[in-house]
Amino acid sequence: MTLLAFSRPFWPLFLHVLGAMLLYGAVIAALVVAATGRARATLTSLIVAVPCFVLLRVFAQIILNDENYAKDPTWVGIGFMASDLGLLILLVSIGVAFWWTRSGKAVAGRIAAGLSAVYLVLLTVAMLAMSGKWG
Amino acid sequence: MTGNDWLIMLHVASAFLFVGGSVAAGILNWLAIRSERPSETAALLRLIRVLLPVIYVGVLGTLVFGIWLWHRLGFGIGTGWLWAAVVLWLAANALGGIGGRHQERSRELAERLAGEGDAPSAELRALLTDRTGLAVSYAAGAATLAILVLMIWKP
Repeated sequence: MTLLAFSRPFWPLFLHVLGAMLLYGAVIAALVVAATGRARATLTSLIVAVPCFVLLRVFAQIILNDENYAKDPTWVGIGFMASDLGLLILLVSIGVAFWWTRSGKAVAGRIAAGLSAVYLVLLTVAMLAMSGKWG
Repeated sequence: MTGNDWLIMLHVASAFLFVGGSVAAGILNWLAIRSERPSETAALLRLIRVLLPVIYVGVLGTLVFGIWLWHRLGFGIGTGWLWAAVVLWLAANALGGIGGRHQERSRELAERLAGEGDAPSAELRALLTDRTGLAVSYAAGAATLAILVLMIWKP
């Protein structure tokens, strides 16, 4: 029974939370290195964030399908909004960081730092909404 | 939101600061290892200091709100998995502290080498990739991961 309990409901939530925490760390690293003018380190940190995002998003969907929420509560909506809008911000950030490494333009660095900060705020709101079960 | 909802939210937020800050520090350390010039290695290792307040707030918050929740949710004083989490929390912090001191030694050497011509150094590379230093950091990460397993599994 213990093994059964450990195997089914545990893994999706564990991997979802693990992906979210790793993503949070990768975006913090991207913000710190972007704010101090390191183009290549910013691009690397943002690329590290991609598999973390995939882990978060895939297991969020698996949990949603398994749990079968009757009336999508507010916190689930906030989580998916942050996830989908966040993917867009992440991809644009990677594009800008790549442009920064190629051009060396300071404006690209400022945009990359700004987008990383916005993404970090978005992830923080989603994390608070989901852990506090808002709505 | 009830009082317990607030406590759970603050406990989880602290955990994100603790783990997120540690992951960011790990990425900066990895980037420092990959750097060729000692000046860049030193600069990246110095940036880890910026993250320390984030990690400390998370470390303190997880313990304070965790013990508060232990009491509020009615878990007994003999609840084994909660004691295991506290022991792992202590281990993660002790190992993280030892790993941090190793990074500080690497940063000091990198700064000295940066002031002496900034040429790539085998001594710095050996210190950065020292197996014992890396093993301690990995062990701190493993202890943190084990806490997350316990918190979600709740055996």
